[in-house]
Amino acid sequence: MPLDLAVDAHGLVKTYPGGRGQPDVRALDGLDLAVPAGTVHGLLGPNGAGKSTTTKVLTTLARAAEGTARVAGFDVARDAAAVRRRIGYVSQGTGADGLLTPRENLAMAARLRGASRADATARARELVDRFGLGEAADRRTTCLSGGTRRKLDVALGLVDRPQVLFLDEPTTGLDPEARASMWAEIRRLAGEDALTVVLTTHYLEEADRLADAVSIVDQGRVVVAGSPDELKSTLAGDTLTVELVEPDADAVRSAAARVAGLDDAVVHVEGPTGRLVARTPDGSAVVAAVIAALRDAGVRHGAVAVSRPTLDDVYLRHAGRSWTAADATSKEAAR
Amino acid sequence: MSTATLDRTTAPAPTTARDASWPAQVAHVSWRWFVNLLRQPWGLGVAIVQPVIWIVLFGNVFSAVGDLPGFGGADYLTFLVPGIVMMTVLYSGAWAGTGFIDDIRSGVMDRLLSSPVHRSALVTGQLVQQLAVSLVQGVCVIGIGWLAGARYDGGLVGMAVALGVSLLLAAAFCSLSAAVALLARDQTALIGISTIIVLPATFVSTALMPPALLPSWVETAARYNPLTWATEAARTAMSTDVDWGLVGTRSLWLAVLAALVAWWSVHAMHAYQRSL
Ligand SMILES: Nc1ncnc2c1ncn2[C@@H]1O[C@H](COP(=O)(O)OP(=O)(O)OP(=O)(O)O)[C@@H](O)[C@H]1O
Ligand SMILES: [Mg+2]
Repeated sequence: MPLDLAVDAHGLVKTYPGGRGQPDVRALDGLDLAVPAGTVHGLLGPNGAGKSTTTKVLTTLARAAEGTARVAGFDVARDAAAVRRRIGYVSQGTGADGLLTPRENLAMAARLRGASRADATARARELVDRFGLGEAADRRTTCLSGGTRRKLDVALGLVDRPQVLFLDEPTTGLDPEARASMWAEIRRLAGEDALTVVLTTHYLEEADRLADAVSIVDQGRVVVAGSPDELKSTLAGDTLTVELVEPDADAVRSAAARVAGLDDAVVHVEGPTGRLVARTPDGSAVVAAVIAALRDAGVRHGAVAVSRPTLDDVYLRHAGRSWTAADATSKEAAR
Repeated sequence: MSTATLDRTTAPAPTTARDASWPAQVAHVSWRWFVNLLRQPWGLGVAIVQPVIWIVLFGNVFSAVGDLPGFGGADYLTFLVPGIVMMTVLYSGAWAGTGFIDDIRSGVMDRLLSSPVHRSALVTGQLVQQLAVSLVQGVCVIGIGWLAGARYDGGLVGMAVALGVSLLLAAAFCSLSAAVALLARDQTALIGISTIIVLPATFVSTALMPPALLPSWVETAARYNPLTWATEAARTAMSTDVDWGLVGTRSLWLAVLAALVAWWSVHAMHAYQRSL
């Protein structure tokens, strides 16, 4: 393996028993991942895509049935102990003991990894300061707010100055302010400490802001990988979004199919409202035609917007199941 | 995108030069469980109050047993105390696994398992705390029994032997609870299984009744019950003329049992990880 990869995984396969006569769940189905040292890598994908499973395999928690993975230069299956010494893992749940204070949690984690009492205390103080846990540091962890607890979780992952830090949805459930401060912290980790960070998230904005590269995972494999800018540039043209009121998805789809220069149309229906998202080489040119087509089809609509591609569009393109399905239908209709 | 090389000499040095030793890991893990225990005063209170209630309850309800011909004229309370010591250990040991279920649910377990900590240290550390609690309970039961009028002719040596035997029983039972918790990963299942085992084990034993007063099939079954082994070893150790042969064999059986179940609980920890 080239030395500059902090994570290098090939063809990971992991199945879970389905239980009660159900077929096995293939959580990972030939997943590849390469993360250069010192970068932040985002794992994106819908629920059940296999993001957490990937993280568990790379942190030596779970064992892949097939494939190989090296983390910080060591094989996760053969050299698990060496990998464990060099990583930090922040799981999707919490990692802190609720009855201990944050300071006690941090010191105990350090001592378990072999720090002397003095070193453990010093390290705990350092992390308390760094994450601004301040007055919360000596209160019981169960009494803390979600944002503070999550900071503690990340701090716990950093106790032993790891080379690679795995963060499984570090900001889920945080308010915008707590999220922004977590982002600042993660960016600082990657910058100042030259840490490699593998981050799973549902927030595309998070990946866009933090990650040097992202892998979009779906059904246990990486469907597309690259830097956010690279991925956006693969989608030429503009994105057209039309807010819909009580839409009939089929009517909207066939109306969209009649407009020339409108591709990859997808209709999302959420209760009484919906959204038509489509790609077009030139947004301003098709707006009028789309509005006319919708009106002819008797579809009520709200705001119409044209935007440059975002990571959302990339995500929808590759991991949005409804997108692919609708894609096929609208292409058929266009024929 | 940067492609910094992962140079081992410049990579951030871990805080620690090497892993904590196994005993140190056990010590840290058990420290954590001690703190947890002390911060849940309810649990600790119940652990002490429960045996007191039993002594009072069984001591009074069954006091007439002491007058029955099959009993041999000894004092029932003196007879009862070793049984209550073992029952106490059994009932609190049955809960030992709940801590693991909480850890699995919260994610603490996953963090620990992804760090360089021995699986056996996680199990042993918790066992150490459980044994310490059992010891405190045993001392309390013996003390309260004495205040209530029980007399221990075996003296300090007898009491120490009785407590030692209770720890062997505790080790077996706490490990059993831990193993079930790690395999079932469900609070309800753990409580259910514990109840199914603990309650019959209490009555199909000589903890409350001498063998002569038990129905014959119960008496036969009781001979294979670890609770009986522990109770009888403690009972003779605390009496005037100690049957050291009985103490020795029963302790040996309990030690073998404890070792087997402890091994199983470590195995269960690995099984839990394999399920991830
Ligand atoms: N321990 C397990 N036992 C059985 N099935 C599992 C287990 N863990 C995960 N799975 C299954 O594997 C698949 C992938 O799960 P995973 O947790 O990796 O998804 P994810 O991408 O992290 O999703 P989310 O965004 O919801 O966290 C899912 O179908 C899930 O039900
Ligand atoms: Mg997940």
